[in-house]
Amino acid sequence: MSAPTGDACAHTDYEDGEVPEGFPNTGAGATGAEAEVWAALAEVEDPEMPVSIVDLGLIYDVRVDGDHATVEMTLTYTGCPAKDMLTNDVRCAALTASGVRDADVEIQYSPPWSVEMVTEAGREQLREFGLSV
Amino acid sequence: MPGDSPDSDLSPEEAQLLRLADDEFVLAERYTEWQIYAPTVESDLALANIAQDEFGHARLWYDLIQEEFGYEESELVWERAPDDFRHSTLVELETPEGDWADTVVRGYLYDVAERLRLDALADSSYEPIADRVPKVQGEESYHREHAQSWLDRLTGSGESHDRVQAAVNRLFPYALTLFSDTEHEAEILDAGVRTRPLSDLRSDWLDEVVSYLESLDIAVPHPADTERPDAVGRDGTHTADWDALHEEFTATYHELGFDEPATLRGENA
Repeated sequence: MSAPTGDACAHTDYEDGEVPEGFPNTGAGATGAEAEVWAALAEVEDPEMPVSIVDLGLIYDVRVDGDHATVEMTLTYTGCPAKDMLTNDVRCAALTASGVRDADVEIQYSPPWSVEMVTEAGREQLREFGLSV
Repeated sequence: MPGDSPDSDLSPEEAQLLRLADDEFVLAERYTEWQIYAPTVESDLALANIAQDEFGHARLWYDLIQEEFGYEESELVWERAPDDFRHSTLVELETPEGDWADTVVRGYLYDVAERLRLDALADSSYEPIADRVPKVQGEESYHREHAQSWLDRLTGSGESHDRVQAAVNRLFPYALTLFSDTEHEAEILDAGVRTRPLSDLRSDWLDEVVSYLESLDIAVPHPADTERPDAVGRDGTHTADWDALHEEFTATYHELGFDEPATLRGENA
């Protein structure tokens, strides 16, 4: 079993359960339209688990520039069959913020998502759902 | 390869990404052919899952090619001519009817090469590649475990051992094409897109697969005595198996008329 090692890959050691600084991003401290986008994203649930995608730690960043919102997010799994559905849900949620007329969703894989990025609230919901986290 | 080949326009990043994405995509296509035919429910599920991983990785790399180099998915996958694909011919070969050993051996030979390649891309100077490698690496290791656990069982004795041996004999020359270089190799290395030459990866790969297969009492042909297949894939030469597979996986796209502009009802009536 060869998990990425320090030699092979200096970018992450998520197998050790460490969360990169600044993650998960939950939008705490966001203001104005960005705070509204974060609030709207908190209502979007993962298609497989009744947990908000913000609590799952899937949203990496939200920026609103004028009337244009950009949401950077990741997927739990590269082969996620719900990618199009999820990015569409995220885009539609971002468009509900007042003053936002246009929204883009960018998928990122760095840092790679791991279960360590789930927030405490997310963990509680996952436990209620019957997952052991 | 002649200097006036269409590939000379590719940047080293594009050239590296295309061979990577095409390998994953085509191998996934072959894995899906086992759906409902695999020898047990467990192995059917495992292959479905591995195919999904490989499709996911192909999508990740194709998405990157689209974002960075201005392609559309239709151009990259559905409308690309068969001889513009750059995958190794190992991944395109048709599976001999019902030959589970063939799939297991191919998976193993490919997955070891895949690990070495990803390791050599982890510190790519091209950040969009380096950024994505860890996620992909994390989803690859159980593919090797799956292949090895099957190889351990199949090589136990009798007919299954012979089938593994036959698959190694048949696939080994094609597996060597995984490491065939192209006119872009020097640029890929100079630019630091990949940090190790294909020849080094090949030699590490040989060390690992030969010693492992020999430990299972499987003889591995010596590369120097191995006749190279005419079709290596990396330069656009492919086997007849590929033409058939290409036709098959693009059939629905063409049937639905996705390559024709939509017309309104009554238009041209």
